[in-house]
Amino acid sequence: MTVATAIVRPFTQAVGKLSAVHRLAPWLLVYLLLLPLPYVLSGLFNDYYVYLANRICIFILLTVGLNIVKGFCGQVTIGHVGLYAIGAVSSALVSLHLGAPFWVSFPIGVLVAGVAGIIVGLPSVRLEGAYLALATLGLGESVRIMIAVTPLFGSSTGLIGIPTPEIGGFVFDSFERYYYLLITATMIGIYLSFSILRSATGRAFMAIREDTIAASVHGINVPQYKLLAFVISALYAGAAGALFAHMPPGYIHHNNFTIIEMVTLLLMVVLGGIGHIWGGVIGAIIVTIIYDQTLEFYFYQPLLFGLSMVILVMFMPRGIGGVIDRYFVTRRFIGAREGKTDGAP
Amino acid sequence: MALLETTKLSKSFGGLRAVSDLDIAIEPGTIHGLIGPNGSGKSTFFNLVTGVYQSDPGSRIVFDGTEITNMPSHEVGALGIARTFQLLRLFSDMTVLQNLMVGYHTHVSYSILTAIFDRGAVQRYDARTTEEMMDLLEFIGLADYAEMPASELSGGQRRLLALGRAMAMRPKLLMLDEPAAGLSPVNVEHFLAIVMKLKEKFGLTILIVEHILKVVMETCDTVTVLDYGEKIGEGTPNEVKDDHAVIEAYLGQEMDDDEVRAILRT
Repeated sequence: MTVATAIVRPFTQAVGKLSAVHRLAPWLLVYLLLLPLPYVLSGLFNDYYVYLANRICIFILLTVGLNIVKGFCGQVTIGHVGLYAIGAVSSALVSLHLGAPFWVSFPIGVLVAGVAGIIVGLPSVRLEGAYLALATLGLGESVRIMIAVTPLFGSSTGLIGIPTPEIGGFVFDSFERYYYLLITATMIGIYLSFSILRSATGRAFMAIREDTIAASVHGINVPQYKLLAFVISALYAGAAGALFAHMPPGYIHHNNFTIIEMVTLLLMVVLGGIGHIWGGVIGAIIVTIIYDQTLEFYFYQPLLFGLSMVILVMFMPRGIGGVIDRYFVTRRFIGAREGKTDGAP
Repeated sequence: MALLETTKLSKSFGGLRAVSDLDIAIEPGTIHGLIGPNGSGKSTFFNLVTGVYQSDPGSRIVFDGTEITNMPSHEVGALGIARTFQLLRLFSDMTVLQNLMVGYHTHVSYSILTAIFDRGAVQRYDARTTEEMMDLLEFIGLADYAEMPASELSGGQRRLLALGRAMAMRPKLLMLDEPAAGLSPVNVEHFLAIVMKLKEKFGLTILIVEHILKVVMETCDTVTVLDYGEKIGEGTPNEVKDDHAVIEAYLGQEMDDDEVRAILRT
């Protein structure tokens, strides 16, 4: 038996035998540890930091979704923030005008964004790289402009008084309380992204990113999987949007969905590491904090983020996740080389 | 009945006829060689069969009783045709094992909904697949590198990985596009030995494009020779070797001494 089989095989056999409890246990543990975070934050600092934690959660949902389509499937999209807007506005409208509770408007917002995801994804069947980026940028911006000029969608005043969710008399009407909703959604979102990406579907996405023709020859229906990636990422964006809309004080404005937000999102994904599930999470946390700490220099923020992006792409193209990965790969590589004795090519 | 049969297969790029009225029949269980000078249409033939290019009207390709003319690549792959590429086209950022798992894609029986709602089932299924793929990796001698990114492999290992990825599809027909290009003579032998073992184990039919004529002469049962997109010869390696048209295509016309002197003088 070779070295690798000695290492790899027991591991895969063990994973196969894991029960659902074992699989979910670490997730539940992290979830329980994160639940009391608002009290820690408001105790140590003040309520503003709880609001910051909420923002981070929303950005995590957005980047995890963006990472699926951009990081894993390799489709450069700049329309993600448009889908985020669609989720926010449709969920807000359903609850404002139809009086539906959050638990009805939320799934509607997510679904509408998912359908819009198909439209944003359609150009990807024909276009690649920078051309696809331009097409999706157009779609994303036109969504924002539609919101800005249509009174029904809020136009220049924005949508005000979007009701906050409520469950069995418990109203999520403060940042502390809303945090419970957000952290739950975020943990579920990350877990589901793991489930999707660590399966044949995730491997198909990566194969498309690496080489479209080779993927297709090996039996992957490329257009279908590209669209699937767009739809999944749109569902994430829609969920993030709907959660954002209903967050107290229940106010959304088209300025929340500008191209600057999109650049920030891209920076999160690139910094965290394209194609690393945890990368988006790390990136969202770091960039949101930097964004917040530099608010005084509001006008220079786009410059700062743009420059950081250029520097990152040049010197750390795989982000933080890539650096960590690199470390482990190198160690494994040395291990494999040392373990070898025969002179096969 | 032939496993793969093309009738009047043609492909033009603008005014250039890259493949022209090509009739090729590949018998099951054989190793069929495809040779010809550069630009003779060998790779185009591969791309036409696997649906990477669309053929011209009037062409017909039948595989194992199913017409696959202009069928999308992924459906051709699912029917049981695997191929390698001249430039390999590996999934470089994925691990060696993942490369093979992608090759296995058409046989994966769970859907994305299972992946979302029953992660345990997916993990168990993938663990079984991993076992199978590790067997295959051991067979081709890359098991030690299972967890390496494909980009870290050496040239020879990459060629083996491309072969392994194609074999993960469990194909009936394996099409190898210059599999030995850039390998040292020792590694060519090694590579061919693995191909022969795979053929025996899985009952493969193999179509091989190769410039190293020694490889073709030693391994192939039948050889087809192309030049400017047309078939100029076909037969056993020995028949083809002595064919006048073939020698002309490869080495040019024979010249008498006066002509040679004329060229040397200028």
